[in-house]
This record gives sequence, C-alpha cells and structure tokens, in this order.
Amino acid sequence: MASTSVSKGQILSLYRSFLRTARQFRDYNIREYTKRRTVDGFRQNRGLTDPSSISAAFSEAKSQLDVAKRQAVVYSLYAPDIRSVMETDLKGKR
Amino acid sequence: YLVRKASLFISLLVLETSTTAEEHVSPSTTILRGTNRRNFVRVVESMAGARGILLKHLRVKVQAFPQNPKPNNGLFGLSFNAILRQFSEAVRGSFLDKSEVTDRVVNCVKNLQKVEPSKVTPNAHFQNDLGLDSLDTVEIVMALEEEFGFEIPDNEADKINSISLAVDFIASHPQAK
Repeated sequence: MASTSVSKGQILSLYRSFLRTARQFRDYNIREYTKRRTVDGFRQNRGLTDPSSISAAFSEAKSQLDVAKRQAVVYSLYAPDIRSVMETDLKGKR
Repeated sequence: YLVRKASLFISLLVLETSTTAEEHVSPSTTILRGTNRRNFVRVVESMAGARGILLKHLRVKVQAFPQNPKPNNGLFGLSFNAILRQFSEAVRGSFLDKSEVTDRVVNCVKNLQKVEPSKVTPNAHFQNDLGLDSLDTVEIVMALEEEFGFEIPDNEADKINSISLAVDFIASHPQAK
C-alpha cells in the first residue's frame, strides 16, 4: 500500500474487475448475486469522504474480489450442464 | 547463423572422432578442445534442437520462395504462420455498420433499469443527459461488451462517456460482432 488515498480510476477498475469476474460464473444465480452485491456495495459506500475509510473499504473490496475470483475457478470445475430457466428468452430457447 | 551452426556441427564431429581415438590427446585436439569447450556445452544443450532449428530455418526459406525469390527481408522474413495470420486478419477485419451499431447501442442502453427510454438519443451523454454516475457508466460499458461480444480494455472504457463515443469506438473495432 503505497499511498493511503485511492483514486477514482482505481475504484472504477476494481468495479469493472468485479463485473468481469461475475461474468465467468456459469450458474445464473451466483452470477446475478455477484453483480447485485457489487452494485449495492459500491453504491452504499459512494458517499464516503474520509480517505482512511475509503482506503479501508477499498482493501476490503479487494479481498472480496480475490474471494470471487477463487470461487469462479472452483465453480468452473463443477459447472452445471443445465441452464437456469431465467436464461431462456421469450421464445423458450436457450 | 547457418555458418555458425555448421561450424558447431563440424567441431562436434571432430570432437567425436578425437574422443574415439585410442591414443592420448594430440596437440591439434587440445586446441580444438580449448576453443570448443565453450561451444561444447551449448552444442550439447542444443544438440536435439539444433537439427530442429536448422530444419525450421530451412523450412522458412522454402516457404518464402513461392512469394518472391528475393532473400529474407521485411515481410518475407516472417514465419509462415505470421504471413497466414496477416492474410486471415485482412479477411476478418470487417467493421460493423455505424447505423446498426447505433441502434444496438441505443437499445442496450434503454434496457438498463435506471435509464428513462425516452431520454436516450444517439447523442446522449451518460452523465449530463441521462443523469448517471461513473459506476453506471462502467455498467453500461460492460453491457455493451456483452452485447457486441468483445473485450474493451480499461483505459479505452474510461473514455466512453456518451453514446456517440461508444458507437465510434465499437464501429472502429474489428472484433465487434
């Protein structure tokens, strides 16, 4: 941790990494949960102004990203064959 | 390069013949051994690969001939794979039509929950016109990535702040589907 202040660009790239990691899940539920949780988590901390609390939230988010990446790997080993019903389009095709 | 490899081979042959000789070390072989001790290790290491390297080098030359009888320089110094890749990229480099891209981008943005469909125009700015913040912009760029099926790198994605910029970027990207 070189500087205590986290830049906006870093936060946005962390956000993007979360969403990219979410895409790797084949399970619909986990994918949607990851997306929802990152959106909620980042929005909740949107109003932070104190640099120390911002960097604390940032490092916590980074550890969560590592968790998500590990889980993406583990889940891909046992990926389900059957797609969820939510992934069918209106015509009933997958 | 070839000359060096050939000289290594010759030196290896000489070494082999000298080691199989019954008598003790003769003056000529000591000189050879001294200079070639450095190369010996290299030769031993690349023994298996030397033949392959030679063949590969020869193979490249042979492939270059049908193109142009001139020696290796510039384009024809490339390996066969690189030449093939260049030709196939020229075929694959088909850009999408700009109006089609605009329609798809506008539809994609309209489907977002936070966005009012009536406000979405081809010139809309995400933050000024549509009232979104930077997190929403990132979400929109990710949705566009999924829609067009190619990855947008982070530094480019940060610059996309309006629909027109997104359309320009996607229309100029050959990998957009």
